[in-house]
Amino acid sequence: MGGYGDVQMIDADGKRVDGRGAGDMRPMTIEVGVIPVADGSARVTWGTNEVVAAVYGPMEAHPRKIQKQDRAVLDVRYNMAPFSTTDRMRPGFNRRSREIGKVTRDAFESVVLTELYPRSKIRVEIEVLTAEAGTRCAGINAASVALADAGIPMTDMVVSVASGKINGTVVCDLNKEEDNNGEADLPMGILPNSGELVFLQMDGDLSPAEFKEAWDYNMDAASGIHDIMVAALNAAHGGES
Amino acid sequence: MSAPPVPKLLRDHLSTLADNDERLDGRSRFEGRDLNIEVGILPRAEGSAKVTMGDTIVYAGVKFQTMTPYPDRPASGGFMTSAEVRPVCGRHWEAGPPSEEAIELGRVVDRGIRESGCLDMSDLCILPGEKAWQVILDLFAISDDGNLFDAFATAGIAALRTAIIPGERFDVGEDRPLPISKSPIMCSYHRVGGRYVYDANIREEIGGDERIHITLSDDGHVHSLQKGLKGVFTADEFYEIMDHAKQRTEAIQAIINSLEVN
Amino acid sequence: MSQSSAAEGRDGRGQTLVTPGQSLGPAEGRTAGNGLVVTERGMIVTSAGVLVQNGNTMDVEPHYTRYTPRPADLIIGVIESVRNNLWFVDILGPFNALLPMSLGPAKADFGGTRQIIDVGETILCRIQEVEETHACVVTMKGLGLRKIQSGIIESIPPHLVKKVLTATMVKNLKSSTDCRIIVAENGRVWVEGPTHGQHMARTFFDAVRNGADDGELDILVAGFLDGGAE
Repeated sequence: MGGYGDVQMIDADGKRVDGRGAGDMRPMTIEVGVIPVADGSARVTWGTNEVVAAVYGPMEAHPRKIQKQDRAVLDVRYNMAPFSTTDRMRPGFNRRSREIGKVTRDAFESVVLTELYPRSKIRVEIEVLTAEAGTRCAGINAASVALADAGIPMTDMVVSVASGKINGTVVCDLNKEEDNNGEADLPMGILPNSGELVFLQMDGDLSPAEFKEAWDYNMDAASGIHDIMVAALNAAHGGES
Repeated sequence: MSAPPVPKLLRDHLSTLADNDERLDGRSRFEGRDLNIEVGILPRAEGSAKVTMGDTIVYAGVKFQTMTPYPDRPASGGFMTSAEVRPVCGRHWEAGPPSEEAIELGRVVDRGIRESGCLDMSDLCILPGEKAWQVILDLFAISDDGNLFDAFATAGIAALRTAIIPGERFDVGEDRPLPISKSPIMCSYHRVGGRYVYDANIREEIGGDERIHITLSDDGHVHSLQKGLKGVFTADEFYEIMDHAKQRTEAIQAIINSLEVN
Repeated sequence: MSQSSAAEGRDGRGQTLVTPGQSLGPAEGRTAGNGLVVTERGMIVTSAGVLVQNGNTMDVEPHYTRYTPRPADLIIGVIESVRNNLWFVDILGPFNALLPMSLGPAKADFGGTRQIIDVGETILCRIQEVEETHACVVTMKGLGLRKIQSGIIESIPPHLVKKVLTATMVKNLKSSTDCRIIVAENGRVWVEGPTHGQHMARTFFDAVRNGADDGELDILVAGFLDGGAE
């Protein structure tokens, strides 16, 4: 994160460099079934971000040592394609990707009814094709829809968005410049039907009032994102909503 | 790749189909699936393409980096191909280091492009002995319904043909198109049910046997051949395939050469 | 949180489409069937699909599922691996099933298991039991259960088996294609008969996989009866 006032990203009228107001989210689209060979799949575009997710399973858990006797194992991978960033991302082991995969898995453990499929495995494959800040949130959103598309039972969808602070102002859904030069970043994973949280990280500096503002921005944005998810799932099955 | 055992019924069925000059999805022997090519679709890449062949979907991205030229070729740049077939694209692809299949995929596509000479390495020189461009072609599959070879090769050449050298971003001059003098095209044939077919889908690949990959470019010049898996073929079979490859190459080249980035 | 109309979509046929997490309100005497659970929030949808009311029970017909083994289900399986006295069978489910020698088609000497059924062979079997640990055992002891050595195997999503492959539909398909057809609960279907009949059956299952509805399928099958797809 950069420092307060280093780069001017929001003007006196509250307009951000890309024209958005403080509470505005970047435009998002969701398409279901984009990977035909998978059990479930989805593509999320969010600003310039493009992320796809595929779900396979439940299926036999190999090797046997990873099997759990009483529930399915969630095997979640998050990866950035080499051409997803301006400076090429070398393929191979990446600590950040490994961490994101793990916290994403933790988020879905809270909603997927894994007890229905003991000793099996459910694979979630998240691939970032183009990155523009908020990729871990976009990945969670793509995975939610892909899991629903695959018929994996869940008690709720997981909706993820990050708000933060730029030039001392709390704003919703940081873009790349804001993420690089801002003062705080608060990504959250929310269950839209209960308001509960399954994912929470934070970087930077927020006062209690600022924290609440960012929290509320995320909650509001999550509602809109959830609507897009539902519309995408229904549209794939003849829905008109 | 963790290949499950091939169901015997599938092999028997493919044999019967072949005897009747039929294929699983109703195509004729040398008929390819619906081919769709889009370019300029990855904003962070300097050149890009997305290729769809039936349910097989792959991306190719061209990225540029600067390098110090090799001492024995001080006025030349470099070219490298990396192919990734990650678990996202199929039930049977596993996480982990690149499999033999993925490595072969990358190398076969690389050879086809390199041997065609479509890329002039001296064109990539920035400052002799000090700086040159390295062109990196990243091939990335997201859905494997068979014939990743041709999908990757087609996406690769489409991305290269529409790539822009990012001189401005690297502060070495103006942006300019990457000079590509021809379009090498790969055509792959699998022996399925006893005879060679073009553009096998995943069930034909699983239930089939050996394969041949032919890369041709302008005027039918052959640039690369690769035979995979165990099995033999006759001279007649080979020339039959070669005839088809020539026609198909021309057809695909026509598409590739007319692609423009929007 | 999300109360907008997008959360309760309807499809072209006026059916109610539901998504995971959606609340149907308090249970109020209704029973939660497939794809639904009752929590403090009331009756909650867990699977994306079409909401259906069957008497007092609410069910979700999922848009898509993989197969879930149930005792007595008829299964078409493929042998994945062989141990001494035991076969592992791919049943398109969450895990492979076990076929012990004692429930197989014949007894073998030590090391002779593969001679009886080899890796890659296809069998018609039944789920014998699904244990508490959800290990699943299949049996080939039963009327008609055997190795499948001819014909073709088609696959459709298992939830479409009951929905689309009704007794009438299968009967019409059999007579119009002149083929023997066995429908297994795990979404695999065995078809055997004259080449053009198998061809027509494949066209039918392609249509099923592509989401054709009953009306479209009836027309397709009637077309077969009129002399084939060509």
